[in-house]
Amino acid sequence: MSSVLLHPDDVVEEFRAERAPFAWLLEREVLRYLRIWRYSLVGPVLSTVLFVIVFGNVLASHVDGLGAFSYGQFIVPGLVVQAVVNVGYFNGTTSLYEARRDRYLHCVLASPLRWWEIQAALAIAAILRGILVSIAVLAVAVPLTGVGVARPGFLVAAAIGVLVVAAQFGIIAGAVASSLDHVYSIESLVLLPFGFLGGIFYPVTELPAGWRVVSELNPFFWLVQAGRTGFLGSADVPGWSSLLVVWIVALGLSAWSAAIFARGRRLKA
Amino acid sequence: MRDPDGVPSALVVRGLTKTYAGGFTAIDGLDLTIPAGSLFGLLGPNGAGKTTLIGAICNLVRPTAGEVKVFGHDADTREARAGVGLAEQDINVDRFLTIRQVLTYHGGYFGLGRREAARRADEALELFGLTAKAGMTAPELSGGMQRRLVLARALLNRPRLLILDEPTAGVDVDLRAEIWNLMRTLNDAGTTILLTTHYLEEAEALCDEIALIRAGHIVDRGTSAALREQYAAASIADLYQRVLAPVAS
Repeated sequence: MSSVLLHPDDVVEEFRAERAPFAWLLEREVLRYLRIWRYSLVGPVLSTVLFVIVFGNVLASHVDGLGAFSYGQFIVPGLVVQAVVNVGYFNGTTSLYEARRDRYLHCVLASPLRWWEIQAALAIAAILRGILVSIAVLAVAVPLTGVGVARPGFLVAAAIGVLVVAAQFGIIAGAVASSLDHVYSIESLVLLPFGFLGGIFYPVTELPAGWRVVSELNPFFWLVQAGRTGFLGSADVPGWSSLLVVWIVALGLSAWSAAIFARGRRLKA
Repeated sequence: MRDPDGVPSALVVRGLTKTYAGGFTAIDGLDLTIPAGSLFGLLGPNGAGKTTLIGAICNLVRPTAGEVKVFGHDADTREARAGVGLAEQDINVDRFLTIRQVLTYHGGYFGLGRREAARRADEALELFGLTAKAGMTAPELSGGMQRRLVLARALLNRPRLLILDEPTAGVDVDLRAEIWNLMRTLNDAGTTILLTTHYLEEAEALCDEIALIRAGHIVDRGTSAALREQYAAASIADLYQRVLAPVAS
């Protein structure tokens, strides 16, 4: 046998990378969902676009009373937010949970990658997937409904916050889930109800007072309001308040996620 | 700690303790030094603490107490991790990637450039007879091929300390002979190898020193001949029965 692999490397006094391990892991994370593009990209885009077509286009003619906007224009921002959150959740769970379950996470943990590089690579990959899905949804929804962007600067700030929330939520779920049952339970018991009660399809101002309070306790509500303010210029709550809540949630989840990776709990024995 | 020739020891473990969340102490104040360049065997029954020790060396286990140094570097530093290769007992391979990608990205996690990672991946495929399977994913491979892949992956960073956790468990005679040959070749070239195995004749044939681990402690260590003489054992199997089996059973 003759191979360079059969000889140990030179003594390393200080680790130096020819290409950053972080870049390799980020690339691997993106490659993972590009390989399963039907499930990871086409699926969420198609289901969201069907909502836009059925609710925003077909049923929109039977709904009025939303001021200057058609029903289709009203629901598009919330549907985009919902798609981003779903994609972030499933990215984190399929990537991190499966890496833990099948233990190939060990290859990453045993390498020179630092904990924050691992966390950042997972989060950025999820954010990129969220951006891809959003662009694809809007490419269909904008011509169908005529929705525009009333406050571009606000929308960018809100979109980054929502993408971070979605990515970190998925990573945390991927780290704490101990079975596939947990993964799907979180989806059906948390994501789905929070989404439907988050004001995507209705203005909370039309809810009875009690339900309005329930809506406002739902973090999803604030994500939808921030997105709607960016697209339409106004929502059920002032723009500054929704943006503030989005970023508080984004920073809180980021800190939680960072603590998981820094301490290694749930990732290492 | 350094070896007599002034080279840092490949592995120094001092007072290592690991108590899991449920209260089970897998390793209790374990001390172990492995000289650079040795082929060192770790022998012990299931649950003795072998895999926990390996996990602590490779940043996979959070030690409760103690310290681990690899070639003089703390085990949790990038310098230490860059010098260690690990082939775990289980087949734990990224199932989303082709096996060429598994190897290439693994090299990347150790800081290789694109060209070098691809070159080493191809070399590893060739070395382990996997070139024809390069475009397949790990679940599509046979058990023996998967074992080859795990071993190939452990060599991508050209480790100075290679840790093999029961590498011949469940493989056929031919592959077992290949793995033995590989270990000898790597060790001759200067790679320190830490081998855990349940095959006593494997430890006796390959290792220049053996440590006996039981209930989270190193019970004794030495060359195969010295241990047999000390315990008046006719063979390593006999030694195992006398020293380790009473607690194992």
